[in-house]
Amino acid sequence: MDKAYSRARILIILGVILALILVDHINSPTFAFNSGQGNVPTALTQRDESACAPCGAPCPSTRD
Amino acid sequence: MSESAVLQAELKQPAWVVDRFVVITAFAGLALLGGLIWLETAPFMVALFAIGTALGMALYHGAFGFTAGWRNLVVKKRGAGMRAQLMLFGLSSLIMVPMLYSGQAGLVGAVAPVGTSLVVGSFMFGMGMQLGGGCGSGTLFTVGAGNIRMVVTLVFFVAGAVLGSIHLPWWLDQPGFDPVPLVNTFGVSGAIVVQLLGLGLIARWVNRVEHKAHGNIERNELLWKGQKHGVLRTLISGRWPFTWAILILAAGNALTLAISGAPWSVTFAFNVWGAKALEAVGVNMSQFEFWQWDYPAIALKDSLLTNVPSVMNFGVLLGAMLAAGLANRFNEASRNRPQRRPLLAAVVGGLLLGYGARLGFGCNIGALFSGISSASLHAWIWFASAFAGSMIGIRLRPWFRLPD
Repeated sequence: MDKAYSRARILIILGVILALILVDHINSPTFAFNSGQGNVPTALTQRDESACAPCGAPCPSTRD
Repeated sequence: MSESAVLQAELKQPAWVVDRFVVITAFAGLALLGGLIWLETAPFMVALFAIGTALGMALYHGAFGFTAGWRNLVVKKRGAGMRAQLMLFGLSSLIMVPMLYSGQAGLVGAVAPVGTSLVVGSFMFGMGMQLGGGCGSGTLFTVGAGNIRMVVTLVFFVAGAVLGSIHLPWWLDQPGFDPVPLVNTFGVSGAIVVQLLGLGLIARWVNRVEHKAHGNIERNELLWKGQKHGVLRTLISGRWPFTWAILILAAGNALTLAISGAPWSVTFAFNVWGAKALEAVGVNMSQFEFWQWDYPAIALKDSLLTNVPSVMNFGVLLGAMLAAGLANRFNEASRNRPQRRPLLAAVVGGLLLGYGARLGFGCNIGALFSGISSASLHAWIWFASAFAGSMIGIRLRPWFRLPD
């Protein structure tokens, strides 16, 4: 049976996504931290437990 | 042909064909990304990536779609998918509510405010589900399986989510009140009992609708009945009975809570992806209030590889790709070129999904599944409101030439 997709197209799309992830990572505080720059706040060392919703939204009662 | 030859032909199982290219590519993607996460972040993120992969496989092999389950009940009056969802919520509630409220430090449930934002957002999300062709998890696993129309839905899902993040502060200023954990009123055991009673009542209504329309209730999809192949082959290449998917999804969400400190969520990652894309073209997202709040601000600034929902979504995408390759069905849904109106439905549906998910504090996973697993009142309101929106979406489907 003929495939419903092009192999080259799949590889190119996945390659582009991986490249975007890499570029994003190389420009991140976590990469800077891993490269020896200390005292950089990273998402791995911070979680906002005081937020009112999973997205970090504040409670309606605390809004002006 | 002799009788014995006919019998032999009937007994002979169809050949087990695997799409090697897709399977090898998915494994290569898992190894590359998993290795990168291992090297650059922390081992617990690799575990979450692996859980995302298992969840993606379970969603694909179990054909566990919230959208189709709701539509089958409304249109075909069949309730197997809906019953499977209710069983999943019941099981995860039994596991996760005691985990969350046992006094263990560092665990945060999926609780959220109740108000205008929640009701409007979940209603929009429900409409978007039927037009876009999937919910949060459904969009992800169908994209992973190569469905091109769902890629369009995902792109506009992301766009809608970013727009929703910009508007959310305004919506939060409309009437509403702080989160209501049911445990505060009923205690841990009481909250579980109340939730199981609620789920039982819905299941009874679903059964009544199905029985009235058909005179019977379909149960084969839940159990190991009428399967074409043996256990091992079904496990690897599908299709799973709903029970298997329920067990994996419930275990996956509980493990996500234990490892990351919060239940499974999908759509916050879409916010981050969209905001990062806009920043890349010069938009300063920090000017918007949402992106000044602590968690979104740091998620925007830091690597996607440190963002739990993003890492798990990558796992779901690759897990679904692997499962579709093992089933030799990768990209099958897109064999025919998408038509104009179904594509328009993907655009409109995607925008509604994204905007609705942000206003409703998540999707069918983050708000509904994880919300009920956290015994939060907002999840029940989300459920009712999204179902109402879904009914409108179902009525609009024929105009967009979408099949039932």
